[in-house]
Amino acid sequence: MFITPTSTVRPNRPQFLKPSLDSSNSHNRAMASLKDPAQMASSSSGLTFKLHPLVIVNISDHHTRVKSQSQPPSADSSSSTSTSPSSRVFGCVIGVQRGRTVEIFNSFELLYDPSTHSLDRPFLEKKQELYKKVFPNFYILGWYSTGADAEESDMLIHKALMDINESPVYVLLNPLINHAQKDLPVTIFESEMHVIDGIPQLIFVRSSYTIETVEAERISVDHVAHLKPSDGGSAATQCEIPPENSLLRQVSSLLRRLPAIESEKFQDDFLMEYNDTLLISYLAMFTDCSSTMNDLVDKINIAYDRHSRRGGRTAFI
Amino acid sequence: MTLNAPMRAVGPLLTAICKIQPSPEHLTPLHPDFLQVCLSAKCYKIGYSILEDDIYKVDQPRDFFLYCYYGGMICIGQKRFAKALELFHNVVTAPMSSMNAIAVEAYKKYILVSLIHLRQFSSTFPKYTSSVAQRNLKNFSQPYIELANSYSTGNISELQAFVQANQEKFENGNNLGLVKQVVSSMYKRNIQRLTQTYLTLSLQDIANTAQINSPKEAEMHVLEMIEDGEIYATINQKDGMVRFLEDPEQYKTCEMIEHIDSSIQRIMKLSKKLTTMDESMSCDPLYLSKVGRERQRFDFDDFDNVPQKFNL
Repeated sequence: MFITPTSTVRPNRPQFLKPSLDSSNSHNRAMASLKDPAQMASSSSGLTFKLHPLVIVNISDHHTRVKSQSQPPSADSSSSTSTSPSSRVFGCVIGVQRGRTVEIFNSFELLYDPSTHSLDRPFLEKKQELYKKVFPNFYILGWYSTGADAEESDMLIHKALMDINESPVYVLLNPLINHAQKDLPVTIFESEMHVIDGIPQLIFVRSSYTIETVEAERISVDHVAHLKPSDGGSAATQCEIPPENSLLRQVSSLLRRLPAIESEKFQDDFLMEYNDTLLISYLAMFTDCSSTMNDLVDKINIAYDRHSRRGGRTAFI
Repeated sequence: MTLNAPMRAVGPLLTAICKIQPSPEHLTPLHPDFLQVCLSAKCYKIGYSILEDDIYKVDQPRDFFLYCYYGGMICIGQKRFAKALELFHNVVTAPMSSMNAIAVEAYKKYILVSLIHLRQFSSTFPKYTSSVAQRNLKNFSQPYIELANSYSTGNISELQAFVQANQEKFENGNNLGLVKQVVSSMYKRNIQRLTQTYLTLSLQDIANTAQINSPKEAEMHVLEMIEDGEIYATINQKDGMVRFLEDPEQYKTCEMIEHIDSSIQRIMKLSKKLTTMDESMSCDPLYLSKVGRERQRFDFDDFDNVPQKFNL
């Protein structure tokens, strides 16, 4: 399944849930707080998070790829949803931190080693170096994963990253498509030291974020998001007709140019404007024709001079 | 033709033309004969069908003159005055090196058809008319030009008096029928001028201004014009008021789009033909020699498109 991000550019997701650190059941709550989203503490660090849609697309793409690769390709759709548990994918997010604003621009994938419960460190460092060359401003801001909610083991990863960035962020994408939920299934967690039961513990707290995008990014993400595995592609895999890409492109551009509204008032205005354009081009052709004709007549008059008497008639073509 | 049964010649001539023509754009010597036969037989419709093809190549200029002249007469018979005007115009403006009786007759008819159809006549020749025509045509058709002048005053009784006076001249030119049509078109002309001044007018006033005898006749004329599409008006029969309207064409319909589209296609073809003609004309040695000769009068950097060797 491919998750298409909603087209809202700036969803504001206030996650300001009241922290209820009641001392009586604080222990339970501490354990439950990681699992129960309704009682998650809110971030108080005051940092503003800005997330670029590229990150969301990257994460969902990673997830989809892994998921489709883990299943045998000949499995039909009925078995795919039930049997295999969705495996989590992991990666790093990078971006810029300016003052109180943290802007997450990009992300890349990382392998998760289940035995050590840590991410592949050497690979991360190598990737970091490469990215540094291209984007010298970007730092590793944190990491991402997929899942429904933050888990305890995530804290280990989180702590491991703390030597790169003293306060990493954790971006969580929920790959389950919930049609009732209108917002993006993306949450950003920060780690905070909270005193629970007298023990300072690091827990995840949710933070609000906004989606930030530049125009070019919006166009490309929109474009990518609208790509769907079409049935034409499946016909191609079955080797019926080789898909003519240029033809398909022309067809799609033609379809996009067709008017999208079907009301009578629109018809009227549309036809009138169309007629106007046609008339203008007609007028342009007319003018062009008249000018050519004028030149031609001048030339004929010069060439076949009437003032001199000529025997017989001149050839007239 | 010797059998005095022109009807029988129409069919075979038509097939002959279709076979001889290298393409529908060519004019063959058979064309004017065919049209003449059609005129005598009064088979205007068949003659008209030949006229619909545009002509681009002519072998003999005389054929062209005759073709256009007879073609114009056939169009008058069919009451298609626009096409008749076009054909007569072609005769008048065709290149000719000496005065031509066909052109003279054509010019007379041209004046009359112009008065009937356009309700006006301009005596200036377009610049592609041959100078021979420009100088001499007017001399031969004096009464017609005076007719046009008195037509433009708008006074019907004057016009009728003039026609009476010169009746035999018009008869000699076999144009009396056309002249009578000119007189009757005078009413329409006057009514049309009224649309430009008034928004509403009573039938009585129309009758008075246009010098029509009675409001009933005025109503009849107005009705005819509305049916022909020459004016847009509504007649209120209760109080005898006529209301002049604007052209209701909104240019919103698909038929209009198709119409404009086909016109654009036609003009594209025409444009291509014109450009090829223009180019072939530029390479014509006669033209180049003339241009080269005149070159000395101009500055050096006026036009450089003639090579030196054409400088005679």
